[in-house]
Formats: sequence, C-alpha cells, structure tokens
Amino acid sequence: MRLMSSPWFAVCRGEACLALIALAATAAAATRPHYGGTLRVEIRQSFETPDPPTAGYGMPDLARAFAIASWEAGRRAVYAADENASGGRPFLDAVEIEMARPLRDQSIDLELGKADVVELGPSELRRQPAGRKVWASAPVRLMALVFSTRVEDARIREAMALAVDRAAIHNVLLQRQGEVSAALLPQWLSGYAFLFPTAADAARARTLVVGLPAAARAISLGVEDAAARPIAERIALNARDAGLSVSVAAQAAGADARLVEVRIGSSDPALALAGIAASMGLPEPPRAGSPEALYAAERALLEGFRVIPLFHLPDVYGVNPRVKGRPGITPLGEWRFENLWVEGGRP
Amino acid sequence: MTFRTRLLLIFTLAVVASVALVEWLVTDSTRQAFERMETLRANGLVAQFRKEFDERGQRIVRAVDGIAASEAAVNIAISADYSPYYNEAASLASAHGLGLLELVAGDGTIVSSAEWPARFGYKQDWLVEPADWESRGAFLRREELPDGVTLSLAAVGTVSAGGRKLYVAGGQQLDREFLSSLVLPEGMRVLLYRNLEPGFTPAELVGGRAEDVPRVRPLIEQVQQRKRAIARTLGSGSASETFHALPLTGYQEDLLGVLLISSSRRELVELESALRRTGMEVAAAGILVGIALSWWATARVTRPVRRLAESAARVAAGDWGATVDSTSTDEIGQLARAFNRMTHELVAQRERLVQAERVAAWRELARRLAHELKNPLFPLQITVENMQRARERYPEQFDEVFREGAATLLAELANLKQIVARFSDFAKMPAPEMQPVSFNELVSDTLKLFEPQFAQARVRANSALDPRLRPVQADPEQMTRVLRNLILNAIDAMPEGGTLTVRTSALEGGVRLEVSDTGQGLTPEESRRLFTPYYTTKTHGTGLGLAIVQSVVSDHQGRISVESAPGKGTRFRIELG
Repeated sequence: MRLMSSPWFAVCRGEACLALIALAATAAAATRPHYGGTLRVEIRQSFETPDPPTAGYGMPDLARAFAIASWEAGRRAVYAADENASGGRPFLDAVEIEMARPLRDQSIDLELGKADVVELGPSELRRQPAGRKVWASAPVRLMALVFSTRVEDARIREAMALAVDRAAIHNVLLQRQGEVSAALLPQWLSGYAFLFPTAADAARARTLVVGLPAAARAISLGVEDAAARPIAERIALNARDAGLSVSVAAQAAGADARLVEVRIGSSDPALALAGIAASMGLPEPPRAGSPEALYAAERALLEGFRVIPLFHLPDVYGVNPRVKGRPGITPLGEWRFENLWVEGGRP
Repeated sequence: MTFRTRLLLIFTLAVVASVALVEWLVTDSTRQAFERMETLRANGLVAQFRKEFDERGQRIVRAVDGIAASEAAVNIAISADYSPYYNEAASLASAHGLGLLELVAGDGTIVSSAEWPARFGYKQDWLVEPADWESRGAFLRREELPDGVTLSLAAVGTVSAGGRKLYVAGGQQLDREFLSSLVLPEGMRVLLYRNLEPGFTPAELVGGRAEDVPRVRPLIEQVQQRKRAIARTLGSGSASETFHALPLTGYQEDLLGVLLISSSRRELVELESALRRTGMEVAAAGILVGIALSWWATARVTRPVRRLAESAARVAAGDWGATVDSTSTDEIGQLARAFNRMTHELVAQRERLVQAERVAAWRELARRLAHELKNPLFPLQITVENMQRARERYPEQFDEVFREGAATLLAELANLKQIVARFSDFAKMPAPEMQPVSFNELVSDTLKLFEPQFAQARVRANSALDPRLRPVQADPEQMTRVLRNLILNAIDAMPEGGTLTVRTSALEGGVRLEVSDTGQGLTPEESRRLFTPYYTTKTHGTGLGLAIVQSVVSDHQGRISVESAPGKGTRFRIELG
C-alpha cells in the first residue's frame, strides 16, 4: 500500500512516464551542466498582486534558489539566480515568467522557440510533435463539481453525479490526461479511489429527478476557467439526458454549482484530504490513522453529493529541447528549476 | 318640371351612366391587366427566390462535398481514435463557410460537432439509415442546438477510406441571418415559419415584424393543413402584400417550415389609385362636357316646342291668331305647321261662329222684338178698329169708346215705350263708378224693397250676412240692379212660393254674393245658355236680365256662376275683388 501511494511510483506507472524518464536520462547524458542562460517560462495564470506570490505552487517554488528581480503584476516576472541559495547557486542566471498567456499561444511560442517551458492543455498536448520533451506531474489537480447550499435536494445532486459521463470527457476533452475518478484523493495517493464508482447511469439519474418541478431541475453551472468550459458544456449535455436543465455560466459566483479545480497540497493522504475538504467547504475530516479510516472519512465527505469528484489531472509542461537537466517539476507539480541549464547560454 | 329640364336630366343621366360604365370598364380591364402583370412579377420573384434558395442549397452541398473530399476528413475517417478530432468540425465549418457541421462515424457516433461541440459520442442514427446522400442534395432538417431547436438547410457527404466510413453533415441555420443574406429583389421580403412545434408558435416566425404574426397566421395554418403552396393577398391599400407560402419539407417529406415570400403591392395599388383618380377626373370632365352639350342640345331641341307652347298659351289667352315660325322639315316643323293651320282654322271658324251668332242674335232679337211688339200692337189694332166701328155704327157711343180706346192706346204705347227703353238700357250699359260698397247693407236694403212682392208670391226671404265683410269697390247702383234682377229671377222661378236666401261671404279683398231659391231648377242646357242675351225660359220678359247681370259682373272684373239641377233649385254665385 505504501509503495502504491508513492508519488514516483504513480508517475512512472504509465508508458509515457517511462519514456519521459528515458528522454531525460538521454539528455542528461548528452550534455554537461553549465551556468548561465535564462529560462523563459509562460503560464496561463495571472497574478495581479503588488508583490510576487509567496505561497502555492509554481513561482513561489522559485524562492528556493532565485530572487525576484523584476515584477510587473499580471504580466511578467523575472527571477535572478540567488548566489547564496542554500542548495548552491542554480545553473540558470534567470527565470523570465510571462503571465496570462493562453495555452494555445504558449504552445505556439514553444514551437517557435520563443519559450522554454510552457503549460500544455489536452488539446495542445495532442498537437505536440513526436519527441517533444514533456514534463508531467502526477494527477495532482482534482476537478470536481461543487454544489452550493441552494441546491438542497440531494436527488438533484445525485442525479447529476450519475449523469456525468466521465469516460467520454476523459477520452475526448482531456485527451486521456489524468484519471477518471469519483474520489477526492487520487488513486496514486489513497490507493482506494477505484472503490468509488465512476460509471454514468443516466436512466437511474432520470428516475431520481422525475416528478420534480422544472424549477428544481434547473441548475446553473459556473465555470470561470475558459479552458474548462467544454467540460462544463458536456456535463450540461449529460445532465439534460437525465432530465436536468443545466445552464453554463462564466461566473461561478452565485451559480448553483461550480466546476472547480483543487490542488493536492500534500503527499500525505490525510493532509491532502483535509486540504481538499477545506478548499471545497466540506467539514474537516477526522484524522485517519489507517487507509480504512481515511476511506471512511472520504466517503463521509462525499455522502450527500455536495461535491462530485470527476477527474484527477496532472500538470503538464512542454519543454524546449535546449532545456537540459532533470525534469523541472516534482510529482506534486512543484517547480525545481535550480538544476536546469540551457544549451546555448543566453538567448 | 319643364320639358327641357326633363330632357336635360335624361341626357345628363345618360352621359353619367355612359361615362361611369366606360370608366368602370377601362379601370377594371386595366386593373386586371396590372393584376396579371403583378402576378407574373410575383411569380418571377418567387422563382428567383427559389433559384436563390436552391443556389444556397447547392452551395452547402458543395461545401459539404469539399469537406468530405478534404484530407482532414479522410484522416479522421481512417483514424482508429476519433478523440483527437472532437474539435475538428468547428474549424472545418469555419473554413468552408458552414454554420453547422457534424462529423459522424460510420456507426452514427458523433466525432465532432461544430454547433454543439459537447455532443461528441452521441448518436445520429438518421445518418446510418439507408439513403443515397450523394444524390439527395440539400434538404431541410430539424436541428438540435444547446439553446433549443432550429431549422437548417443541410446536406450530407460521406467519406469512405480504409474500409471505414465518415459522414459529413453540414448546413446552415435557417434563421434571420440566413434570410437577410439572401439577395432579394426590390419590394420583396421573406419570412420563415419554423414548424418545429405543434400548432402555431409566434416565436418561430423569423424575419417578420410583430404585426405580421396575426396577418400570416391563417396562411401558415392553411399550409400546415394542406401541405401545399398557397398565395394570398393580405392587408389593404398600399400596405397590402401578396404572400406566397411555400411548404418546406425535410428529407422524410415532413413539413418543417413555411417560407413566406412577400411581394409588396404598393406600386400596383398606387398605380391603380392614380389610374382611378385620372379616370375620375376624365369622367368628371366628360360629364361636365356632356352636361354642357346636353344643355345646348336641349335648348336647340326644345326651342320650337317652347315656341309652340307659348303660341298655344297665347291662343288659350284669346290670341287666336298666334303662329309659330318654323323652317325645319322635321317632326317639330310639321307640328308647328299643323299648329299654324289649326290657329288659322280656329280664327276662321271663330269668325264664322261670331257671324252666325250675330245673325242668330239678330234673329232672336227680331223674334223677341216681334213678340214684344206684337203684344201691344194687337190691343192697339183692336182698340183702333173698335173706335172706327163705334164711329161708323154707334156714333152716340163714340165718345165713350174713344175715351176708353184712347186710354188703352196710351197704356199700350207706354208699354211699347218701356220695351224700347229696356232694349235701349241694355245697349247703353254705362261704365261702373267704383266706390266702397257695403254689400251687407245693399242686400238688406234691397230685400226690404221686395218685401211686398215676397208676400204676394208667398216667398220667404232669408239673408246670411258675413259680419267680417268689409266694403268692396263697386258701383252701388249697378250692383243693386244685379241683385234685384237675381231676386226677381228667383221669385219667377218659384210660382208656387218657396224660400229665397241671399248670402254674403268675405273673401280676401273681395266679396262673395250668393242668391239661391228653392224653385224648379234648370236643366244643364238651360244653365249653359242662361246668360245669353234675349234667352229666357219664361213666357214673359226680354231675356236681358241675366245678360245684364253678367255684363255688370264682368265690368267689375268679377265672376258669376250658376249651380242648378231640375227640382233642386238654383244658386247664383258672384265673386268680386
């Protein structure tokens, strides 16, 4: 059980991961580390704060070996190598981060050599040329439906849970990235996620809502991330088959339900579950000392279908071939750029 | 109403009726001609629209065929995994100008949907039904979209590669945008009713105005029932439109929509209105000219008739010599000449009649004179002969006889003198000397004078005098004589006694005097000849009394009449003023 819950085990389960490790090893063998160069990173997220973020993942992770050199809120950040880093000076002189770049533009910039590290969505991942270096974390992002307290009738929530065809979304919209799941914790972390059924049952869903007034069957689904909107649209279509009328809205505030992503914040399942519960407004689960207790706690959280887990998704980055070194992210998706170097020095 | 007015009215009516009939015929035939032209124009427009519609369908077919023939479609068709292509339909549809596009696997599973991307993996079973999609061309289809149901003009293409099949179902929504993109001729507009719900749903009328809904609803419902094209003119006046309602059927011949092609009748109505206005003006002018001509013609036609009437009136007024000038040879001329002959004949006859009457009067006068004179002459002759015989045979008695004879002679001579005086009076009737006369007093005074004679003749005299009667201009002596003659006449008419009534009545500015008796009455012939001089029904008298009465009344510009019947008495009525 402990072995199965190991992040590295989970990452290296798939054939893709094995190929990535092999590619990384080959690259490392082909070049020797050297100092210098700037790593150009593009991300979709935009930080509008006056100062760089210090908590979370991504940019805050750079604080281990880099210091902020330039900050343009919402647009651009430059981190310079910290000569006095505890782990030693990183190979890279600097990391330039461009924010608020759409996934499609990031992919194009990577293709044109304008960026070294970009995020890849399912569509962009599919379009990557063969041999492209890709960093992928373990499935650390939970995508789930979260109902507001306005949706009081549990039959509606359960019907929604039964209506969603996770497999179709996973196969097509997510291009098989990540895992289909009805659990809060991913399989690689808990080991029991498969116990939560994921199959859709539209017929049963219809029986649950039949007879309910139309107003009760009308639900607004808020989704703020434009990239997730196709998933929301598909959920709405599935819900329609179950007799529900789901309208997708770009604003999550005020919606009856929201399509959200929650990051697994810890490799400790109990802590991760507590973090997820807190993020989703669920009651804090009891501290579980055993997998059975953890399972019971998670099951209790999902009782009532206030939250409907859908998928566990990895962080996936496309990497310019000139970037060398070990994968720049951990299985939990943390950035580890201090051991990277770039071929050709300064661009 | 004069003959000319009547004739003018008849002419005017004839002109108005003729002009109205011509105006109606011209307007109606012109309107029908314009209607036929309008129908041809509308049919042409409809044909043009159909061509445009068909062209749109062909364009969609070409677009779909282009997609089906594209490398992308072939790649999808032969792909073992369709999931990477779930978003392909949108880009293909955009590249080929289609609003709707679905790529459907051979088993009917949607690979990619441009109009509803989330619908991948769902089934489109209608596509896998046996059908020759290649030759079908464009057709209408009920299309489900995330926000409802719509109507589309669609075509299906197929891709067969590597033993696999891919359906390419593309099309265009039949919505307001589609309708507005159609190239329409001037004065034409297109409405589309999407027959997607049972019955009539106003919201499904695309391209129309709010006021169109109640107007076209019956038309749409008729098409829904009959499922065939119907043309109707809706509205009135220049706002009227001719609607051609065409049923739009799907590939299974189900009625999916009704296309309403409207052609404005504004130009036609305005043309008809202008034509009607011009016609009215021409008709009004024609009527005026007709009336003027009728006026002239009636004047020309009736002038001889009027002259004839005037001449006839003159004849009636006593001018028997009146004639009519006529030079025409038509019926009016003949009539005029006949009239002239008639008046000449009348004058001649009158002269002959007057002459005859004069002779008759002289004869009557002579007879009366002879009769009147013979009565006194016979006693004169007897007296003279007695005196001669007494002289010869009885001289001793001669003085006695002479005295008696002389007395008789004197008496008879006086009688003769009186007779001669009466005749002289009649011949020398003086002109009346007019002065205000109270007829009530005149009647009362006269009746008093006759009281002894009334008593002797056993006649009861009554008077009924109108107190409102005012003095009337008349000659009192002559009117007294008139009244006396009438009273004497009445006494003579009642030899066995009776009742005499004299009545006065006030007229406006005049008087009515009536003298009636209860005598034996007169025959109609006697009544007719009563006022003829020297005519009398009595054994004594000159026959001049009533003639004098009539002469006096006539001199006073009055009228006298008599009412009588045998056995019922007689009433004389005189009106003056």
